[in-house]
Amino acid sequence: MSSANVNRTGRLETYSYDDQIVRMFVIATIIWGAVAMLVGVTIAFQLATWKMNFGLQWITFGRLRPLHTNAAIFAFCGNAIFAGIYYSHQRLLKARMFNDVLSRVHFWGWQLIIVAAALTLPFGITRGKEYAELEWPITHTITIIWVVFAVNFFGTLFRRRERHIYVAIWFYIATIVTVAVLHIVNGLSLPVTATKSYSIYSGVQDALVQWWYGHNAVAFFLTTPFLGLMYYFVPKMANRPVYSYRLSIIHFWSLVFIYIWAGPHHLLYTSLPEWAQTLGMIFSVALVAPSWGGMINGLLTLRGVWNKVRTEPQMKMIALALTFYGMSTFEGPLMSIKSINSIAHFTDWVPGHVHSGTIGWNYMLTAGILYYLVTKLWNTEMYSKKLANAQFWTATIGLVLYYVSMVTAGITQSLMWRAIDPATGKLVYPNFIETVVKIIPMYWVRAFGGTLVLLSFLMMAYNLWKTMQKGSVGKEQVYEAYALDESSIEKGADQHRKLEGLPMVFTVLSLIAILVGTAIELAPSMLSTNYVTKISTVKPYTPLELLGRDVYIREGCYLCHSQQVRPMAHEVLRYGKTSEAGEFIYDHPFQWGSKRTGPDLARVGGKYPNMWHYRHMINPRDVTPQSIMPNYKWLVENTLVTATLQSKMKAMRTLGVPYSDEDIANGVSIAGAQAKVITEDLMKSGVPAEVGDKELVALIAYLQRIGVDYGSVK
Amino acid sequence: MHKEVLSHWDQPIYPLIALVLFLVCFSFYFYYTMKKSNKKYYEKSSYIVLEDGVKHE
Repeated sequence: MSSANVNRTGRLETYSYDDQIVRMFVIATIIWGAVAMLVGVTIAFQLATWKMNFGLQWITFGRLRPLHTNAAIFAFCGNAIFAGIYYSHQRLLKARMFNDVLSRVHFWGWQLIIVAAALTLPFGITRGKEYAELEWPITHTITIIWVVFAVNFFGTLFRRRERHIYVAIWFYIATIVTVAVLHIVNGLSLPVTATKSYSIYSGVQDALVQWWYGHNAVAFFLTTPFLGLMYYFVPKMANRPVYSYRLSIIHFWSLVFIYIWAGPHHLLYTSLPEWAQTLGMIFSVALVAPSWGGMINGLLTLRGVWNKVRTEPQMKMIALALTFYGMSTFEGPLMSIKSINSIAHFTDWVPGHVHSGTIGWNYMLTAGILYYLVTKLWNTEMYSKKLANAQFWTATIGLVLYYVSMVTAGITQSLMWRAIDPATGKLVYPNFIETVVKIIPMYWVRAFGGTLVLLSFLMMAYNLWKTMQKGSVGKEQVYEAYALDESSIEKGADQHRKLEGLPMVFTVLSLIAILVGTAIELAPSMLSTNYVTKISTVKPYTPLELLGRDVYIREGCYLCHSQQVRPMAHEVLRYGKTSEAGEFIYDHPFQWGSKRTGPDLARVGGKYPNMWHYRHMINPRDVTPQSIMPNYKWLVENTLVTATLQSKMKAMRTLGVPYSDEDIANGVSIAGAQAKVITEDLMKSGVPAEVGDKELVALIAYLQRIGVDYGSVK
Repeated sequence: MHKEVLSHWDQPIYPLIALVLFLVCFSFYFYYTMKKSNKKYYEKSSYIVLEDGVKHE
């Protein structure tokens, strides 16, 4: 067997690894993974039956769904990434982490952020942007903790004893740099209070920035760091080098360069300029090549040790993870093709696709790595292979049920939405609820599949806990290696080879690779004057509508209702005029949504009387039998908070919404006057006058305004 | 001035610029990575992962 350091000479140094920090992140991964999946199963049942919302505002679907996604991505996957990075980074560089205190600050800071998310999201404290819901104090804390992590990470690179920076570390570098850029650019908000801020972007620009961020959160939080972990742990567990190191280099640069462009595929057929949509689609399709390059490289690393896949459950999990990575990176580009996207978008096919990635790839890879880490760090064997095998099959069956049910539901519903009777030219299923009722059985299957996945995770947690109990941590082992001196420099090596030993130059080049796509896609929306064609009839929201919009955001309505009519015959027939970018210029943040569990609301203003909305919010089934929407009774109990209205209007003005001094000074009284008109209308149908100062009236005001300026009522 | 420039910028040129950039970079690192003389270096590097360091006795 070749060795990486056969020609090294010079001074021998001793060092040890900080494995305690890895143990801490391992335990956090197990705890938060269980929480994330428990919340996921809860909301899956809430979609199958609205009664599972229990009439409690804090656990209603719109508030728990962001908790699920944040917990799964940042708490579960985040801690798993950190555990894997802290373990592999030290060993690949033959150096202890730069600073133990920074490691602890990183760990506890990250857990504090997760707890803060868990405490704020159920209270509706949200920025209203998917996967970026956390309000500005938490967002700022994330930035600080990420910098702590980066300093610790790069500090270790400078203290390394290995000249060559192994490919896994390249993926870590790309992750650290890109996540920082994504988080800062998409997180720019203007604070109003400690718990409320508005995105500095509006409408189509906000949508573009959000999905540039949203897609790349998947790319650079759920993919690149896990690929880094794959390049370390798969060879390690197989006890053989990666199939092709050279392929891994091509894989890295191609993936990092191409991935950043793909965001606009979340906005196909929307008001985003056509060229940006096409750009997003083309790069998404191109992504198949580097993604499959990585997948094949991972799978072929197992050549010669396939017998281990049969006998070692953790190897089974790794093989399944790579298979699902291949499947979802084929399906994703497929769904980005415009004609297929027109069917898939806004449907359950999308969560099906997402979960094949997060459960199949992230959970399975993490499970394999956790078994490896726990046995190594607690110096023992796995407690029960039988249990691990049972976990594998339970998770696999659960995931298949989840995926198949969601793809079936998505395609079924989409085909029902678009069915037009050729004889009459009318929709075959004009009532949206018909298309919902049809897929409810699939929601039950999904909830059952999700329960199996949760059960599998609990099996793993038990197995790992028993393994830890069986083993012992022991004393820190001391290692020795040559100091990084002249003898480590390869004579006559080529340019790229030299680059692999220069971490800062490498980091800058990675940054440039992701900034090219970022600049070309985002800059025109921020700098160009003709990016959005203004519509003269579109005016700012009234003070009451602005407050109502905040209630809409707080309740997470955008998670089930879109506000974007696509240029398709069936959408125009069902909802009304196609959406235009100019409609949304005062929308901070945009609320286009990404899923239609309920109908689109872009043309809902003036469609129904106030009383319809009143009854609908208190009990949706009063106006739409078989609706699966939760009751929002607290909206007639909560008094509307107007104390911060002026601050909100001032913030909006700072962001470019043309409120005058007079508008702001009289904001509360203007809101009161509009509320009075709505209340008097409601009172004609027997609603008590006390409802006048409640949140529901503001929400009705907002709903009745959506699309009106654009002529939806006509 | 930058706004005026951007307003009149032919936007379909962006993807072409990106494509050319990508192809140039891709050719560069593909050539260096696949060059025969580099093979032994990369083979050596692929073994780094298997070494945790020598235990100090």
